[in-house]
Amino acid sequence: MVLLGVTELGVNLPSLVAYLVNFILLLGILGVFAYKPLMRMLDERTERIRESLEAADLARQEAANAQEAIQEQITEARREGQRIMDQTREAAERFRTEEMEKARQEAEAFVERARADIQRERDTALQEVRASFGDLAITAAERVIRSSLDRTAHESLIAQVLEEGESLRRG
Amino acid sequence: MPTGALAKKLLLFTGVGLVVLLLVGFIFGAVGSAMLGTDQFLDKPEIHLPPQPIFPADVRDEHLGLLQIDGEHHGEDAEAHFTPLGATEIAVTNTLLSSWFTTVVLILIFVTAARRRSVIPGRFQGFVETMIEGVLGFASSVLGPEMARKTFPVVATIFFFVLFNAWLALLPFYQFLGFTQDGEIKAHFLRSAGTDINMPLALALISFVFVEYWGFRARGFSYLKKFFQLGKIFRGKPSGLIDAFVGFLELTSELVRVVSFTFRLFGNMTAGEILVVMITFLVPFVATQFVFGLELLVGLIQAVIFAGLTLVFLSVATSHEEH
Repeated sequence: MVLLGVTELGVNLPSLVAYLVNFILLLGILGVFAYKPLMRMLDERTERIRESLEAADLARQEAANAQEAIQEQITEARREGQRIMDQTREAAERFRTEEMEKARQEAEAFVERARADIQRERDTALQEVRASFGDLAITAAERVIRSSLDRTAHESLIAQVLEEGESLRRG
Repeated sequence: MPTGALAKKLLLFTGVGLVVLLLVGFIFGAVGSAMLGTDQFLDKPEIHLPPQPIFPADVRDEHLGLLQIDGEHHGEDAEAHFTPLGATEIAVTNTLLSSWFTTVVLILIFVTAARRRSVIPGRFQGFVETMIEGVLGFASSVLGPEMARKTFPVVATIFFFVLFNAWLALLPFYQFLGFTQDGEIKAHFLRSAGTDINMPLALALISFVFVEYWGFRARGFSYLKKFFQLGKIFRGKPSGLIDAFVGFLELTSELVRVVSFTFRLFGNMTAGEILVVMITFLVPFVATQFVFGLELLVGLIQAVIFAGLTLVFLSVATSHEEH
């Protein structure tokens, strides 16, 4: 009989139902209280790891950018410094040239003025000498005329005048 | 951790102990007793394919033949004879008890891990997660990530149930807890649920229903077209007969899966159980360890096969390609 063979093998309907119910209960309990929260947690962790990696990447990128910016600033500052120094040097050079030119001009002007002064002094002196000689000649003439025409007197007179003139010139 | 000379000494003692046990086992086992005439350490085991009823007690005593001991039949025909449960007889069998034990262990492990979960896992959580991710990865490799997540609970539960059933049955108290008569264990209190044909059958039915459910869900009623390819016959084409036959084959193979699922697991688990019992009888003590190692592997393989085939059938049932 077929049924006998089946029981010899151990087939038992209530057991089968019990196993089915048991499995479904196990499935339900594990599904709700274990798989679902654990899977959610695994997903959460995956998400967090992904976020952390992205954040790290971002931070690295930012650091690199900052580094670049700083480098650029340093370069810029160096260039600026160079420019300022160049400017200063140029200004100093220009100042020096200008000052030298000014000093030279002043010196020249001073020399010019001195020369003009000397000239004027000389002219004045010459005029004065000339005037003195005129007076002297007139005086000599008066004396000549006054002392009449005595030869010896005449000669001594001339000598006297000349002497006076000489002393005058010397004085 | 002992090091150097101590470790060497320990290793030596263990090795010598194992060899001595192996020799003793050989001498007092069935093989040695037949060759040397020594007393047998164990009695010849009785192998029963059907599980033994444990509760209620009267059903147990009746089926194990234990009633006769106390009754007036005490005498030459007092030899207890085991009779299997009838097809519809209600009793809690030792295999059913062991499946409950497995269920409780599984719930304890997984629910504890889930309750104590944190984003940074401890060792225990890491262990449970490794198992879960292992099954999920396996499912993903067959079904793709999306379907794997949807079908994960059933596939994972099948996997863990089969695996833990097989592995827990290797614990010693499965072998020494039982109901005795004349110092002989007549029925073990726990017996691997895989050795009860109802358990593989239940799992096979679950797997079958699950696969068909997903077939319908993925393809609607066109899923049935695979089994009833009658379109050409209705249009009067003779080649439609071939299509109809192919459909019939598909339907048959779909149903036969239940049988093959059932007997594959039942056969493997029962064979393992018998192997353990027989080796223990033939050469007690150490020799059994090799069989235990083998059984660990067999348990894993059966769990992988059961879950894997369910996945493959799911993949076939839900794929949209037409043949």
